[in-house]
Amino acid sequence: MTDDEDPALLIEQVASAHRPHSQTELRYHPAWHDLGAPDRIRAFDLARSLRRLEAALDPENLSTTARAVLARMGTG
Amino acid sequence: MDLDVHLPAILAGDTTAFARWLAGAEPSVRDSLRSFAAVIDVEAVLQEALLRVWQVAPRFEPDGRPNGLLRFGVRIARNLAISEVRRMRATLSDPSTLEVAVEPTPPDPLLRAAITDCRDKLPPKPREALDARLTSAGAYDDDALATELGMRLNTFLQNITRARQLLADCLRKRGIHISDELAT
Repeated sequence: MTDDEDPALLIEQVASAHRPHSQTELRYHPAWHDLGAPDRIRAFDLARSLRRLEAALDPENLSTTARAVLARMGTG
Repeated sequence: MDLDVHLPAILAGDTTAFARWLAGAEPSVRDSLRSFAAVIDVEAVLQEALLRVWQVAPRFEPDGRPNGLLRFGVRIARNLAISEVRRMRATLSDPSTLEVAVEPTPPDPLLRAAITDCRDKLPPKPREALDARLTSAGAYDDDALATELGMRLNTFLQNITRARQLLADCLRKRGIHISDELAT
């Protein structure tokens, strides 16, 4: 297994708030497709915990998910 | 805690009020999608659903019960998730877990102070990686953030892992347990 296929590193990427932008369709994180069901659930649980940390470190209590949504509204 | 205190301003198009609503509502909407996590990209669905809440909020009619917009947001997210399940031709393994509690998350000043203090104690490289994720707020992928910091992608991701593990360890020493996922 190469580093690029390491499930732990794929989970770390999927747990971020970055998602490719599109005006017309929902875009998944490319690494999500490389994960099996158990690792997708691990990525979800990790993202949930990370967002709590991020919100605590943000002056307005906003996670990177919330910031990404505000950016898409044109206010981020 | 009733997030509908922000509703009049949100209906008037106040994005700052919507940001305050988002801060309290996001965890509940995310949690409502956990049973879909094995078959759809919840983060993508969640962001789209929260954006749609803002877009349709002017037509929202409160039912008089607390947290009406939050319950509305959960419905939007769940309906979008179900559409995604159909589009992906997937099946949910345990439909019985679809019902979840809807409860806003209030700010916790003590937790906030502890996390900030622990973040300030991180070694330089893990802190750089974590700060890059926070500053980017989802705008750039990890590859771009790694390049900006002069790191390989895998090194950047290992620094993110190290940062959250160190934060979890620092918090644990203060008697604070956020989740098992942060420490592993």
